This record gives sequence, structure tokens and C-alpha cells, in this order.
Amino acid sequence: MSSSSQDNALRSGLLWRVLIYTILIVTAVIYLAPLFVMLVTSVKSLEEIRLGNMMALPLQITFEPWLKAWGSACLGLDCNGISGYFWNSLKITVPAVFIGTLLGAFNGYVLTKWRFKGHKWVFGMMLFACFIPFQIVLLPMSQVLGWMGLANTTSGLVLVHVVYGLGFTTLFFRNFYEAFPDELIRASVMDGAGFFTIFGRILLPNSGPIIVVTVIWQFTNIWNDFLFGASFSSGDTAPITVALNNLVNSSTGVKEYNVHMAAAITAALPTLLVYVVAGRYFVRGLMAGSVKG
Amino acid sequence: MSFLNIENVNKHYFDVEVLKRINIEINKGDFLVLVGPSGCGKSTLLNMIAGLDEISGGEISIDGKSMNGVHPSKRDIAMVFQSYALYPNMSVAKNISFGLEMRKVPKEEREEAVQKVAKMLQMEQLLDRKPSQLSGGQRQRVAMGRALVRDPRVFLFDEPLSNLDAKLRVDMRTEIKQLHQRLGATIVYVTHDQIEAMTLATKIAVMNGGIVQQFGTPQEIYDNPVNTFVAGFMGSPSMNLIEANVCKVEDKLHFEVATVDAQRPLLLPVGRDKGAVEKYLGRKVTLGLRPETVTDPNSANRSEGEIHEADLSVEVTEPTGADMFVVTKLGGREVVARMRSRCGAVAGQASRFAFDVSRNLAFDGETGKRIQ
Repeated sequence: MSSSSQDNALRSGLLWRVLIYTILIVTAVIYLAPLFVMLVTSVKSLEEIRLGNMMALPLQITFEPWLKAWGSACLGLDCNGISGYFWNSLKITVPAVFIGTLLGAFNGYVLTKWRFKGHKWVFGMMLFACFIPFQIVLLPMSQVLGWMGLANTTSGLVLVHVVYGLGFTTLFFRNFYEAFPDELIRASVMDGAGFFTIFGRILLPNSGPIIVVTVIWQFTNIWNDFLFGASFSSGDTAPITVALNNLVNSSTGVKEYNVHMAAAITAALPTLLVYVVAGRYFVRGLMAGSVKG
Repeated sequence: MSFLNIENVNKHYFDVEVLKRINIEINKGDFLVLVGPSGCGKSTLLNMIAGLDEISGGEISIDGKSMNGVHPSKRDIAMVFQSYALYPNMSVAKNISFGLEMRKVPKEEREEAVQKVAKMLQMEQLLDRKPSQLSGGQRQRVAMGRALVRDPRVFLFDEPLSNLDAKLRVDMRTEIKQLHQRLGATIVYVTHDQIEAMTLATKIAVMNGGIVQQFGTPQEIYDNPVNTFVAGFMGSPSMNLIEANVCKVEDKLHFEVATVDAQRPLLLPVGRDKGAVEKYLGRKVTLGLRPETVTDPNSANRSEGEIHEADLSVEVTEPTGADMFVVTKLGGREVVARMRSRCGAVAGQASRFAFDVSRNLAFDGETGKRIQ
């Protein structure tokens, strides 16, 4: 009797398994289909695209669209491709991520280990900053950038992203350092380490997971940002997201889908790369930061 | 002239007073143990000596110099933390030398000092490891090394053994004691374990409710506790505290203690502090009997003590191998007696008990203060 029930259990288990896998595979296919279309289209010639079958594999692979997108596609009147804007994005993202993460770590350190009167209030305000929608800060920010002489510059965008990201980075680091043992700080105070030495020699070297989380979070957000980029930059200083939009909108006559797809993939590559390299730390780090102890 | 002087020290967080008028003085080379139940303020006091917590009132001075307002790193004090607090990103050698590096000691000197300490604690082979690669006992040792390398005027230990398993704890206890004897260092040590306190200390401060209940040598505190808290806290098994009446029988002072048989109370002659106890004639007091002063007649110490024998019924026997703890009921409470393992006491039957009345202590029935 027991053997027959086990048999049943096994069979129904198998059935479930098949069902689950089917659902998973279907979902994955639906999810990956656009990427597939993009990849395939980007290596087809325009003639082949006109045949009309989006899902078909290319008859002849050509990297011409990629080269064109990178070096000679026209954005409005300017026909130098998206390469310059790619570097713009890097020039904005890398310093903004670096400064934002460092400041967040520093804020987290002060808010947990050097508490002052009203520290909860300050942290509350910073948390609140996380929930302010982009649109609200647009006008005041452009005014401030104008006053500071940073309008339409990449440095201006760095500032914008650092300021806007500060709430998030502070939140990440504060929660991480909340669980960081106070006795370690006390031990280093007894050892004679000062405020900044403790930060640099004790806290930061032990913040690996949360640094990875913050960097990924900040990098993807800043790299993918369109609104700030479109609002606070123009012409040469635009980030790649804005350039991509300009490229797609400014093609006169024939729509070069293959070039557009190649440019779009190029624009998405760095974030993909960051996920692939550091993604597994991301999940681990999110856990480490949110769960105490 | 005392070396570490704690004078009238108070601590309050907002309205809550956690330490009240603490007065402790110890000499150079003393091993002071602050002992008490959790929440008694002993760790707070230690942190105040370290300078990690500010004092609200009074003064702490070391070697005649006031430490009020002096930064922890400038007090020439080293501390061993309960969690060891080793820097996880640094090797053992770095952990030990970090304090020296912060004090700008040249590199060669640092390395020399690390080697010396590593040798003293027998952990030369561990110097390149990270703390995560060490066992609990090894971490403990590194934490001590970090304190030793600085050669400070005072060592502070904050429950350093509480994270170790029972056997290792006993080993490390011995090691700390040897270290103290070898270095002649001045140590302040916090623990809630009264056995640790008794074995290590040259001076003990028993704390409860933010007050130093008693301060003295381990023997003083064991033999002459000033109140029922100290009497009950120090010693294992703890002192039997039972209700008794002071009365006079045949013109001699006696403690009258209720037994299981309501008709026949136990009468124990008052063996010490007679003058003080006499003032309580006819009143209720708390009688304190150390388990080792209640024995079987054969192992009673007749040469030093004043022995009074009685037959009492045995409730439970607990053999430990060397001794047997025999439990009887007196004054409505269970009373533990320490007898030889072959004394023949059997649960449920009567047995002969010998009381050394010269070591019985009396406490005020209401305040719990010692009557002496």
C-alpha cells in the first residue's frame, strides 16, 4: 500500500515538474524574444529586413550596421555615430557612481557609528529623498546648474546623479553598518584610530558586499537614465540614452533598423556586463544589507 | 596611594540612573573583578574606565592623574572585548600591530613586538592567518595579544571567556591568571561568573542594581558577605538562606528554624556575632548556611568549628563523585548540605546532619543586611 502511494507521489511529482518547466521555458522565451529579434536584426542587411520576417535567422551575417552605429550613423546633421555619446555616458556614470557610493558609505558610517542628536531625523529626510519623483526636481535642478555654471556639461550631470542617488546609497550603507559590530569601532578607538582612519581602514575594507550592491544599483540607474540626460544636456554632452533616441528619430528617409538595433545593444552592453560580472554578489549583498546579524 | 581610583562615579542616561556613587580603589598589580548579574552596570563601569562611555559625575584617575575627558587612546589602557572585536580584513599580525601603527611606532619595532607577544601566547604559526580562519580559543588569544603588545598601564577585560566552551574557558582562565602573575599587570575584569571572579581576583567588587554591594578580597567576600545578595551570589552551590527566629533557650541565644515536623523545630546555637544578634531577640532574621558548613558528623571540622548535630529527613541526594549534595528542608526552603559521597544518606529517610554554627551568618529579615 505504501509503495503504491509512493508511486503516485512520484508520478504526480513528475507531472508538476513538467508543468513547471513548461511555464518557465515559455516565460523565458517570451522574455528573451525581443533581445533575439534585436540581435538578429542587427546583423542583417536592410534588404533582408525588408523581406519582413523578424524572427528569421540572417541569411548572411554582416557587421556593417554595428560599425555604422558606432562610427558614422547620423544624429541630426552630425554623422559620427554614437561612440562619442558612449564616452559621455562613461564620463558621467563612472565618477557619479564612485562619488555617490563613497558619500553613501560615509553617511552610513556617521549615521550608525557616530550618532548625533537628530540622526534619525536626518536619515528620515534622506529616505524621503528616495521617493521624490524625477519630474519634481527638474526645474529647480536646472536653475541650480545654471547658477553653478554647470548647465549642459557632463560634470553637471555627475552632480545631478550624485545628489539624486545619495538617498539610496546612504540607505544601503546605513542598513549594512547598522549590523556592523560596534565593538570593532570601540576596539579601533582604543587602538588610537581616528574618525577617518576607522572609516578607511576598518569599515570600508569590510564593506565588499554592500559596495557591489550600491555600484550595480547606481551604475544601472545612471547609465539608463534618460530624463536627466535629456533635460540637462544638449548636443555634444548628451549621454548615450539621449543619443540613441536622437538616432532613431532623426533618420530621414529609410529607417535603418539594423543600425538602430546595433546602437541599442551597444547602449545596453555596460549594464549587462556589470550584472554578469557582479550579479551574484548583488543578491547576496541585498540579503546582507537587509537582514540584521 | 592607589593606582586606579574610582571616586563617587555616577552614570545616568537621561533620567535612568545606571550607576550610583561607585567607589573603588585598587593598587598597581591588582586584579579587580567586577561581578554581578546582567544589567548591574559592570560593563558600563568598564567602558567608563576605558573612556568609551562618558561619566556623568565623579572622577576616575589612574596613577594620580584624572582621566575625566581624556580620549580612550590616550589613557594608556588596552581592552579585550567579549566578541574579541578582531578586524576581519587584517591578518593576526596586523591585528596585533594596528594599535602600534596608530601610535606611529616604527615598522621594525612593531614587528619585534608582534613576535614577542606571539611567542608569549604561543601563536607564532598563526600570524599570517585571518581571524575567520581561527578557532574561538585562538581568536581569544589574538585579542589578548592585541592588548599585551601595547604594554599598557591597565588591562580591561569585558567578559572575555563567555563565548568559549566550558573546557576551554577553564584553560584560558588559568592562562589569564598566569599572565597576570608573570606580568604583574593591573587588570580590571568584568564577568557574571562568580567562579571566575573567585579564582582570578585579588579584589572583587560585587555589583547589583548599579551599586557596588561589596568590595574586598575574594576571601572576605566569601566569608563575610555584607548582605543576602552577595551571600547568595558568591559561592556554588549558593548559600542556603532560610528564615529563622532568634530566641533564648537555657539563657543561650539560638536560631529557631522550622523543620518538616512542625512540633520539633531545629535549634541552632548562635556561634558568632552574638552581641549583634541579641538585639534581634524574638524577631525574624535570615540565616545563611554555606553548604560546606552543613555536613555529615564524620566529616565535620571539629578542631576549628563549633559543631551542632541534628537528625533531619533527606529529600534528595545528588552525588557528584567527590561529594554528595544532600537536600533537606528547613524553614520551608530546600537546604543543601555537602557530605562525603559515602555518608549513607538516603532520600526519604532521616539522616544525621552536623552544623558548624561558628560559620553561620545572620541577616536582617527585612533589609537583608548582615547582622554583625
